[in-house]
Amino acid sequence: MPALLLNPLQPMSQTLWSLRAGERCEIVGYDEVLADNYRVRMMEFGFHPGESVTCLQSPSFGAPKVYRVSNTIFSLDDEVAAHIEVQLTETGVVP
Amino acid sequence: MKRVILVGSPNSGKSLLFNRLTGLSHKVANFPGITVDVGRGAIQGVPDTELVDFPGTYSLAPISAEETLAVEYFRDALTDDEVSRVLCVVDATRLEKSLYFTLQVIRECERYSKPVTVLANMVDVLDKHDLQFDASGLAGALHTGVLPISARSGKGLEPLQQLMLQDDGHAKAAPAANLADTPDALLRGTAHQLARQYGPRGDVLVRSQTRFDSFFLHSVTGGIAFFAIMYVLFQSIFTWAAPVMDGVETLLAWMAAGIVPLIGNDMARDFVSDALFGGIGAFLVFVPQIFVLTFVIGLLEDSGYMARAALICHRPLRIFGLTGKSFIPMLSGVACAIPGIYAARSIDSPRKRLLTYMAIPLMPCSARLPVYTLLIAAFIPAGTAIGGLVGWQGLAMFAIYFFGMMVGLLVTGFVSRTREDHFTDLPFVLELPPYRLPSLMPLLRNSVNRAQHFVTKAGKIIFAVTVIIWVLGYFPNQGADLGDSFLGYIGRVIEPLFSPLGLDWRYGVAIFTSFAAREVFVGTLGTIFGIASAEDNMLPLVEQIQASNLSVASGLSLLVFFAIALQCISTVAILAKESESTALAVRLFVGYFALAYVAAFAMYQIASVFT
Repeated sequence: MPALLLNPLQPMSQTLWSLRAGERCEIVGYDEVLADNYRVRMMEFGFHPGESVTCLQSPSFGAPKVYRVSNTIFSLDDEVAAHIEVQLTETGVVP
Repeated sequence: MKRVILVGSPNSGKSLLFNRLTGLSHKVANFPGITVDVGRGAIQGVPDTELVDFPGTYSLAPISAEETLAVEYFRDALTDDEVSRVLCVVDATRLEKSLYFTLQVIRECERYSKPVTVLANMVDVLDKHDLQFDASGLAGALHTGVLPISARSGKGLEPLQQLMLQDDGHAKAAPAANLADTPDALLRGTAHQLARQYGPRGDVLVRSQTRFDSFFLHSVTGGIAFFAIMYVLFQSIFTWAAPVMDGVETLLAWMAAGIVPLIGNDMARDFVSDALFGGIGAFLVFVPQIFVLTFVIGLLEDSGYMARAALICHRPLRIFGLTGKSFIPMLSGVACAIPGIYAARSIDSPRKRLLTYMAIPLMPCSARLPVYTLLIAAFIPAGTAIGGLVGWQGLAMFAIYFFGMMVGLLVTGFVSRTREDHFTDLPFVLELPPYRLPSLMPLLRNSVNRAQHFVTKAGKIIFAVTVIIWVLGYFPNQGADLGDSFLGYIGRVIEPLFSPLGLDWRYGVAIFTSFAAREVFVGTLGTIFGIASAEDNMLPLVEQIQASNLSVASGLSLLVFFAIALQCISTVAILAKESESTALAVRLFVGYFALAYVAAFAMYQIASVFT
């Protein structure tokens, strides 16, 4: 199934945690809640503003989700992912 | 002596390289955060040179106490005149993740004029997938040497040895990269750009990883796979180790039969027979379990599955204040608390690590198994229900295992909600490593090491306690009557403590001795009832217990007591060492005794109403 490109004129700002499997986004920034040192660490992992992130797995029962950033795969809990602001760019991405 | 410093991001293959270069066998695993200590070893083929393996860290801006320690070690090493070179290991398959840290290391090395070489590890994986990595281009951009290597296959290690042989111990770096004043924010951008320019193109590795993950992390197939893998793990602990354990028992019995009759002195003969072969032998029987457990967990870690298991368990464990990373240590604790406590090192959040330490002693370890088997055989009828599908004794065993685990989770849940402390709490972020075939030889070496460590460290404590108990039980009447020994006297002194549970002095003594190790309970009861080798032949002891007027309510209270009490000197000692807090170990020992006593008393009172 081809990826569906979203209309850039209608930005959909949300958090990384709200992404479902197969959705790709661009990181917009971080909210004020996440501690500074952890925000820096996430950026060291590659989650910096402007970077493209794909949600690979969104398991049931609120389990941590699986994201691909660059060529690395991370699992993030809502304690972190809910504080990363993103803009949805594609849906239906085949991992 | 020259020193070469080995640094790198977690899970970059640093420890495997250390083992390759030194011939040592530090633990390696396909799981971030395995190296938590500084390792040292002489480099083979490079005279008078020591390799120092530092704990992996993602950045020189630490966010946990462990990372702070690792960074402090590194900065201290840079001011050490004997340090001739810094080796920075990067994962060539995921270059961007490693390059930011590498740039930080190069910047620090420039500041202190230390030569640094970048080791692009895992090129064997790139070769296998026909992926290209531009080492010379990256070397030009970094203004430092970049050697493509494979710690797993040994590829590229000869040029590295040559390089270290050329170091005269006073080498100075050529400060050409001009990073000394570059802030971290700029380094992040540079790392991103360099990875795109020189790193392997294509995402075949990530796609392959994602295919496996779509099965192992799927809501349905992932759950089935998880329970199937856990079933195999438990089978390995309780079934695969059994023949070896039987072999150790037979060997010890054979040795005892050969050695004991040769000893002329009565007291020496009794000591060798009862304390050495009886006491220490009972402990050595568990060594094969430690070996098998370490090996199977190592297989799961090295394959990359353990990170997925941590992810699957994270949500349920979070309810009780724990993290998915607590799962493996707690699982290890089902065989033996000691490897479980060691495994807790990989939990990066100090607060969650502390809570995991609290849960592990309540996991139903294998030392509880003989006690449960004895008491269930004595008090639970052997009948079945539902057409033979459910056996009452099996159900009781399951219930007491489940009870222990639930108490562990409830304790951590209670503590995490009520206790404020200074420990850092870190959110759950876990890098999922690629799947790969485990390397058997390092795993076997690590399992042997762990078993040896168990014998040499815990063995000393168990030996000391066994000797004390033997002396108390043997004197003043040379073992003629345990009831008239110092141990019998102690039993009568502590009898009032256990009489509210319906237990007489004999059970009090057995509980007292079992604080050295739980399984001693069975042996002590066997001695008290005048039956030798109780562990080998349970039935007579079961009959003696049934004939000893011990009520069913008391039997159940004993089960509850053993499910909670921290009766293992080795566990207490290792807890104190690993947590660096004797106070914590003592508090857990006392606290779990008090909780065990209260719960056993409650069980006795409730069961007395119905029986």
